[in-house]
Amino acid sequence: MMDYEAVIGLEIHVELNCPTKMFCDCPNRPGDEPNKNTCPICLWLPGAIPQFGYEALEKATLACLALNCEIQEKSAFDQKVYYYPDLPKGFQLSQAHYPLARNGWLNITGEDGQPRRLRIHHIHMEEDVAKLIHEMEGKTPVSLVDFNRAGAPLIEIVTEPDMRSPHDAMEFVRLLRTQIRYAGSSECSLESGTMRVDANISIRPKGTGQMNTKVEVKNMNSIRHVGDAVAYEIERQKTCLAEGEEMTMHTRLWDPVKKVTTAMRGKFAGPCVPDPSVPPIVISREWLEDKISSLPEMPAGKAERFREQFGLTEDETSQLCTDKDTADYFEQVMAFPVPARTATHWLTTQLMPLLRERGETLAVCGVTPSRFADLLGFLDRNEVNANSAKEILARLFETDLPVKAVVDQGGFGQVSDASELEGIVARILEGNAPAVADYHNGVSKALGFLIGQAMQASGGKANPKIVRELLLKRLSAI
Amino acid sequence: MSNHFFYLDSSPRATGEGALTGTRIAVQSNISVRDWSTTAGSLALENYTALEDATVVERIRSQGGVIVGSIRTSELGFGLRDDGGEAVLREDQTDALISTDFLGESRITAADAGVFGFKPTYGVVSRFGLIGLIPSMESYGVASASPRTIAALMDGISGPDKRDFSMSDRSKPDFLLKEGKTPGVVKAGVPAEAMAILTDEERQVYREGLNKLSACGVAVSEVSLPEFELFSLVHNVVGSVEASSSAGKYDGVRYGHRAQGTKNWNDMYLKSRGEAFGTLVKSYLFQGAYFQFENYEIFEKAGRIRARLVKGMNDLLDKVDVLVLPSKRMPFEARRAETVADVYNAFSLTLPANVAGLPVLQVPGFIMNGTQDLGMQLIGPAFGDAGLLGLADHLSQCKGANE
Repeated sequence: MMDYEAVIGLEIHVELNCPTKMFCDCPNRPGDEPNKNTCPICLWLPGAIPQFGYEALEKATLACLALNCEIQEKSAFDQKVYYYPDLPKGFQLSQAHYPLARNGWLNITGEDGQPRRLRIHHIHMEEDVAKLIHEMEGKTPVSLVDFNRAGAPLIEIVTEPDMRSPHDAMEFVRLLRTQIRYAGSSECSLESGTMRVDANISIRPKGTGQMNTKVEVKNMNSIRHVGDAVAYEIERQKTCLAEGEEMTMHTRLWDPVKKVTTAMRGKFAGPCVPDPSVPPIVISREWLEDKISSLPEMPAGKAERFREQFGLTEDETSQLCTDKDTADYFEQVMAFPVPARTATHWLTTQLMPLLRERGETLAVCGVTPSRFADLLGFLDRNEVNANSAKEILARLFETDLPVKAVVDQGGFGQVSDASELEGIVARILEGNAPAVADYHNGVSKALGFLIGQAMQASGGKANPKIVRELLLKRLSAI
Repeated sequence: MSNHFFYLDSSPRATGEGALTGTRIAVQSNISVRDWSTTAGSLALENYTALEDATVVERIRSQGGVIVGSIRTSELGFGLRDDGGEAVLREDQTDALISTDFLGESRITAADAGVFGFKPTYGVVSRFGLIGLIPSMESYGVASASPRTIAALMDGISGPDKRDFSMSDRSKPDFLLKEGKTPGVVKAGVPAEAMAILTDEERQVYREGLNKLSACGVAVSEVSLPEFELFSLVHNVVGSVEASSSAGKYDGVRYGHRAQGTKNWNDMYLKSRGEAFGTLVKSYLFQGAYFQFENYEIFEKAGRIRARLVKGMNDLLDKVDVLVLPSKRMPFEARRAETVADVYNAFSLTLPANVAGLPVLQVPGFIMNGTQDLGMQLIGPAFGDAGLLGLADHLSQCKGANE
């Protein structure tokens, strides 16, 4: 059988987190009570004229910059003409001929571990459409329209067909989400619908440059689904080809339960006519410079800086920098005298899981960077041990007391005083003669067991390093 | 008498006082007046009541003007069939009429009524609340026997409005400026190519009108405006495409006529729109959809030609102060136009100002075929609105002296 490769391009809609809609002042809150956030403009009542919002342009520009695009000096809105009840005016305002940005890229890590540059063809702005709800009124099916989402500001990112595998597609979406979140333009959640990914997939004999008939796959509600749907569609197309079936251009829906794609409709492309009511957008050099300078440090640059400044590894920095809040928190912790590695480790393996468990975020949790740094200081100075530190961390969520007070009140202070520990060690050796015998007979586990017993006897407060030293000294003397 | 009105306000009132105090103004029924039935002459807007005042309505009332009612209008304001404007002006039921001007409707209405008419530069008056059809070419037009009433109205309704983003950034022309009143020597150009499409009879009355204009101290000379005949074609293609998009909102989902007993939403669209629109509008929209879906290239070409035509006109207006054209054609009656072709024949001399977005004045009493007034248009340079209205004042006095 011939060896095929997949050619994948993505079309990604991202809902911008502007306070208002794109062409009117209605709140941009699609989730509110149906048809609450509407006005004559977004309902497109006779006599309304669209009023393009400055915020949408700003958020869109920041997102485009975060995706390494060239912002176009002039862009303009067109009318994408089609008739559907979710579209109140018979056309959607979208930038078909003159998009806001072109020629972007993101560098992902390929399946082989090598960096791969995936190109973005262009990014344009457009308005979202209304939401249709199909219900039964008794035995009569009815269709209801909720216009809260009509006119919500979107950008659509159209990539080049540079992806070759589900891995590429998932990595691209992940990185795109990180970049846009950094830019502060959107939450980019596939689950809640602030990001929607459509994949255009075709296959060709490996090594050829053919561009064959592509199939569009929609309805992936998580990054995992993007991977699964793309993988399924590639296999489906290979099977079709093997069976001699001809590929037709159409749209398929991903079914996350059955894990298959099913044919939905032929792909429809309506005309795009320049819109006479929204004036062309002309961006001045000064305005653009201002946006560029207001863009925060991006994850790749931040990770590199963290590696240089704090001596962290690539793995560590990528854990810190994927989420901007995490990276910012880390930097705030580093303002205190705390070892970077300890801070990274405790942040990613202790604090973050606790937050997730509690459904909280770094921004609002009671464990401020200074309290977290305090705690790590106790640990670093051997004044509490790791087990105690975990318990203290959990308590910091419940109380506003300073870390020192929590340590004192909970009796978490680590016992490093040799004279105090001598007594415990002596008692343990007396009470565990078989283990002592095992140790001398070369059973390696025996030492660990004895340390554990001593730790337990100290109520978990003993400094394990000193316990170990004392035990070894005593055992060698027996 | 009131059958020319679509809606008559039983207790018309102003909201403030100013230059328009005491002026009665009628509007067309495609201009939004809050709580008034605003159907724009179409079943597609059956029972539709405006939720907000158009900017012009709000401004007129705040300056003391009184909106007496809205007139009957051709469907969606396209063309002049069934339009009540000429009658309410002639019967003096209003001091001024504000109507829409997609391809010259307000100017031909003024010519028919034998009064002055004025269409401002594109972007000088906010279109907010105007139930438009051809966004890149449409405008309000003002008609009145008194040029000073027109100037006062223009002064009252023009100027920036944050609700219309397509407006010009330039500050509004000073319509009350007196500088144009004694215009010195005004240079007027007569486009030879426009002259060429007229009948002999039309040319004859046109020339007589130009003589009268000269007698009023205007220096008339012939100029060349190449491709004049393309203005109609460009307007027809671009206008129908924009109209098709503009009318896309009339789907019967949120308001207006909805057909009964339909099978699904698509069927509902087809039947509702099929029942709502009259033949003229339907064929115009159909034509626009054809260019959108089947022959987009022609639309793009029309856009390029439009740019060329506009440039040609602007270049000419660097050399002369105004371009002179009759308002009406003798062989084609705007009120009787039934087909798209009829409409374009009847409006062929007025629509160039819409294509170019230029200010234009319609002057009564100059180009006369016996007692029939064909109207005379003076097209000015962009934002030369005040100068044109000053000239109107001058011509109204000069004409009086002649008669």
